[in-house]
Amino acid sequence: MTTPRETILQHLHRRLRSVLPARGWDSPRTFPDLTARFAQTLQAVKGEVYQVGSWSQALARVSELLDALAASRVVVNPDPPLDQVAWSKRWPERSWFVVGQTSGSLREFCARADVGISGAMAALAETGSIVVGSGPSHSRMATLLPPVHIALVATTVLVPDLFAWIRTRPHSMPAALTIISGPSKSADIEQTLAVGVHGPRRFIVVLYDDEHASGTGGARDAR
Amino acid sequence: MWGERTFQAFREAARQALSDGQIQQALRGATGRFREERVHALQDLPDADGLRDRLKAIRAATLARLAEHLTTFERNATAAGARVHWARDGAEAIAIILALAKERQVRTVAKSKSMTAEEINLNPALEAEGIRTVETDLGEWIVQLAQEHPTHIIAPAIHKTREQVAALFSEVAGEPLPPDNIPALTATARRLLRDVFLTADMGITGVNIAVAETGSIVLVTNEGNGRMVTTLPRVHVAIMGVEKVVPTWEEAAVWLQLLARSATGQPLSIYTSILTGPARAEDPDGPEEMHIIILDNGRSRLVGTEYEEVLQCIRCGACLNVCPVYRKVGGQTYGSPYSGPIGAVVTPLLFGLDRYFALPHASTLCGACLEVCPVRIDLPRMLLSLRRDVAERGLLPARDRKLEQGIAWLMRHPRLYRWVMRGVRLLQRPFVREGRLHLPAPLHFAAGRDVPALAPRSFMELWRATEQQHADGSPSM
Ligand code: SF4
Repeated sequence: MTTPRETILQHLHRRLRSVLPARGWDSPRTFPDLTARFAQTLQAVKGEVYQVGSWSQALARVSELLDALAASRVVVNPDPPLDQVAWSKRWPERSWFVVGQTSGSLREFCARADVGISGAMAALAETGSIVVGSGPSHSRMATLLPPVHIALVATTVLVPDLFAWIRTRPHSMPAALTIISGPSKSADIEQTLAVGVHGPRRFIVVLYDDEHASGTGGARDAR
Repeated sequence: MWGERTFQAFREAARQALSDGQIQQALRGATGRFREERVHALQDLPDADGLRDRLKAIRAATLARLAEHLTTFERNATAAGARVHWARDGAEAIAIILALAKERQVRTVAKSKSMTAEEINLNPALEAEGIRTVETDLGEWIVQLAQEHPTHIIAPAIHKTREQVAALFSEVAGEPLPPDNIPALTATARRLLRDVFLTADMGITGVNIAVAETGSIVLVTNEGNGRMVTTLPRVHVAIMGVEKVVPTWEEAAVWLQLLARSATGQPLSIYTSILTGPARAEDPDGPEEMHIIILDNGRSRLVGTEYEEVLQCIRCGACLNVCPVYRKVGGQTYGSPYSGPIGAVVTPLLFGLDRYFALPHASTLCGACLEVCPVRIDLPRMLLSLRRDVAERGLLPARDRKLEQGIAWLMRHPRLYRWVMRGVRLLQRPFVREGRLHLPAPLHFAAGRDVPALAPRSFMELWRATEQQHADGSPSM
């Protein structure tokens, strides 16, 4: 008896034709100011963008945001340089879960967390997107379950568009890569835009100029 | 179960939709908005037309070597730790999923929108085995609660009003919810479905694109439910049609660049999830198991035929929004998960022309679908071929067949034809108003529509008159 696999493949094999493979697309796209295009596109879909000069200013902005949000439970994906921050020492009034820590349940913490903080391995200017990956101490839940996601993104990881990113994608793919292009939304009830259906209601990107590091976040062999 | 669409069944369903003011308003609003936003999104690209040509070439080249790309995909997905299953039809796919669910004692399944799962009627099969199955895309959930079917590829619940949604949600929430507050309705859905995500043992999704070179699948959602069901439950099952594969990421990028733009006018969907195998040993979260079901269900027999082009579809829904028929009769009328122009072609091809022979006729052949399709699929050509098949297989009702045979016979006898036409032109006179024929009810042969009247002079007569003028040496232009 032939298996379903054999049946289907035999069927298709009989119809194999020789073709020249179609190439990809050499995107002609560049933007004079990647940061401006990124911010403009993301803001158009109700994403929030802050631009700051340095890493320390970025952390200061995070501090203000956490105050404004009155966040008491915060989960962090410690992408470098986020791994250098002593979160619970710096903000002892909040409770922290730094992914990779051995104590406590990540799942339970994320389910009730107010804010998730991450880096990004890349950012796409054209579509106002960031790319995050799974890996050791990179939780998928941390950027998904809390109602607010704050991403700290170095301007050095900005590329013009999807095509440019594909060329630098991780050679060996992590189990999950997510391209995030705004806060969760739906228009399923009478075509009326509603924000924060399942994923974060607020998606806040703090863009900072990075003096030393290259890309942060995601799989180790990213580039 | 999806219905049949004989001429009578189609007309009946269309009549219902046409007389429903709410549906008419919803269709007008939704399709209009999608159309506008698509145009804006494509204008933003430097060379959208070139990109569409490229996507066409990619899809065509991939289908020509489909067996190879599928085996490459299978090899790489397996290497990444996923289990790949093959299913010849819906029954086999369902059997695989049920076996997986039973072995793992799955009690709750959280589903993310999947047209392929709709196609094989997965939900009733799971429910029948006592497995609670919850749709988590907001639109799909609304449709599930109402015990209906999705009516648009992209917006499953476009036919529902906020009042209807509020009533459905109130019932589940056990408290009355006001219809005028859409953010509150959404928040309720968020709260109720969050519990489902956290307790489900299995997540089931479709696949937007499968990338052979890395064995990855790509899922796009705006709400985040696609991420939820591939992150929280222990087991992730993804169902894909055989045609969803591309060889490399270069090609996948072209597809992604056009998918959301053509569907909703977004540059990209909010979330593009790229999944390569289950969670790795060192990952802090993610599913322990990933299963990918490659479903044929009638697709492979289209490869190499005049209908192969239909497999190039990326399910963006753009053709629905421009179709003068879909925009009036809506998705319900097609009796299939696939509606609009693409549905009119793919439904009879996958589920049988004898059950759906009215669908190829549900088109004016205006060509608007071809105009907007990101893959430039020649749907009008295939609609015509299917109409030919309908006639050849003797599926036309006897009355129509007799009528068409009569007309064909008449056309083979030019002199008689001219005499008859002259006669009709005289007879029609009392009924012509503004160039249209308004027949009294019993004589109405066009199912309630007004048809254009015969022109006062036929083309042949005009032609002959012009030739006559030329012969007389008096140039007419
Ligand atoms: S046929 Fe073309 S326009 Fe219609 S859904 Fe498929 S890809 Fe989109």
